[in-house]
Amino acid sequence: MADKFLNALKLFLYIQKSNIKTAFLSKADAAVNVIMMMVNNFSFIFMWWVIFENKGSVNGWNFGDMALLFGVMNNAFATFALFVRGVQQLPEFIDNGNLDNFLVSPRNSLFMVSVSESTFANWGDYLTGFLMFFISGHVSVENFFLFLLASLFAFIIMYALRVILSALAFWAADSQRLGDNIFMAFLTFSSQPASIFTGWYKVMFLTVIPAGFVSLYPVELIKEHSWSALAAMALGSTIFFILAVKIYLSGLKRYSSGNRFGVR
Amino acid sequence: MSGIIEVKQLTKKFRLKKSNGGIKSVFRPEYKTVTAVDRISFEIGRGERVAFIGPNGAGKSTTIKMLSSILYPTSGTALVKGLVPWENRRKVARDIGTVFGQRSQLWYNLPVQDSFALMGKIYDLEEVAFKRRLSRLVRLFAIRDLLSSPTRALSLGQRMRCEIVASLLHKPQILFLDEPTIGLDVTAKEIIRDLVKKQALEEETTLLLTSHDTDDMEKVCNRVIVINKGRIIFDDSLNRLKESYLNKKYIEITTDSGEKVRQVVNTKETPVRKALDELVKKYHVADLTVENPPMEEIIKEIYGRD
Repeated sequence: MADKFLNALKLFLYIQKSNIKTAFLSKADAAVNVIMMMVNNFSFIFMWWVIFENKGSVNGWNFGDMALLFGVMNNAFATFALFVRGVQQLPEFIDNGNLDNFLVSPRNSLFMVSVSESTFANWGDYLTGFLMFFISGHVSVENFFLFLLASLFAFIIMYALRVILSALAFWAADSQRLGDNIFMAFLTFSSQPASIFTGWYKVMFLTVIPAGFVSLYPVELIKEHSWSALAAMALGSTIFFILAVKIYLSGLKRYSSGNRFGVR
Repeated sequence: MSGIIEVKQLTKKFRLKKSNGGIKSVFRPEYKTVTAVDRISFEIGRGERVAFIGPNGAGKSTTIKMLSSILYPTSGTALVKGLVPWENRRKVARDIGTVFGQRSQLWYNLPVQDSFALMGKIYDLEEVAFKRRLSRLVRLFAIRDLLSSPTRALSLGQRMRCEIVASLLHKPQILFLDEPTIGLDVTAKEIIRDLVKKQALEEETTLLLTSHDTDDMEKVCNRVIVINKGRIIFDDSLNRLKESYLNKKYIEITTDSGEKVRQVVNTKETPVRKALDELVKKYHVADLTVENPPMEEIIKEIYGRD
């Protein structure tokens, strides 16, 4: 088991090295993309800063809380986009039959699909994420570790949701747009103060669109050291991850390996 | 059964949505079932070079995809080196190599040598053994000059040579080639056929090659399975097929005045050389081609004799 894990890790690191090598074919391009990603992030954060400057707080949340949320969100998304973004291409691979290449590999096909694409610009999200933590007003060594842990759980939820949405294409070939829209809704709701969602909205944001795991619990965990928030995130990410893998494996049985090439 | 590949009553059905273009079909879709592979059985021994031929939609690729663990069958069984491929995908992958003429396993933007290195890591090949293996294949397939080019810059023929090298890096005992010569020009086809056969003979690799080009079968394989509408209609040695069905050649000449003359020669009665001599005497030949009968015709003939 440990051998298998180390082996997968070695391959993962090798693929990342190749991705960085490809991105560095044009170093200027890579640097500009990272900087532009940060500019993009900060223009969004600036909007919230203006709101909090004028209103003081939103349902009990202040700008420090929002900074924590942005930190977790940016780290989770950076991890997703840099290391496993390929899963977004799964509906296309299913549709055009390119999933074949991954299925004849001696490695886990979901792993291979996931690591098949990376967007270098998202290193800018990591820089934004850590910067947000350091300006949040909750800086301590303990909080830093909780921040990393929360980012990891948020990433797992994000990845699992994307796997589920992408795997829908095994059943409905035209589900890619629906999947993209739900994922976009997840990213949008994950970037809002969780305090504005209560009642049924809260239930929805912990199940159908699990944005609550990114926006609600991480801030609770870091601010209040709430172990129930930690337990909810651990449980939520485990359940979503297992569900995602099961749906993917069940979808594989329906895969029909199309032969689309060069057609409209 | 004791072959390296054993197939028994293998069947694959696809459920396809019927659409009449109306709004009703969106809410109440109707489906039809298409049988792509229909209860086929065969066995392939180690080192055999088998051509799996038939017209488009005959079920060739579907069969190869079940044997290479891409598709689950609807019913029936198959064993590849004693393992059910769709249940032991990762284990089976280490013993098989696959080349799909219509898609690439190389990384589009990476130099070919980086793709090979990545394949080496994926198959967990030991560094020294990998380099030795790669060096042998690079020499055999004459691709040294292509190693530093990105895949996107290769011609189709060059890419196909690199694809085959990629599929052989882990020294598979079985090689599945699905339309490896599709879209290639005559010279590139010849090169691919020669190299594949040479490699298979040297390492006693079992080949299962699908094609609808009868030349692929003639130049590379020693056994032929003909499939049509999902059923096997012929399974015997290449020599037997040649004796029985491949005894016609189509000769087409273009005269100096641009006129085209087509003649069918029965090689059992008239050797091709004699037929050509007669045509050259009779016409001022500017250009000529000699071709095998198209696959559809061979299948029609096999059906006719059945």
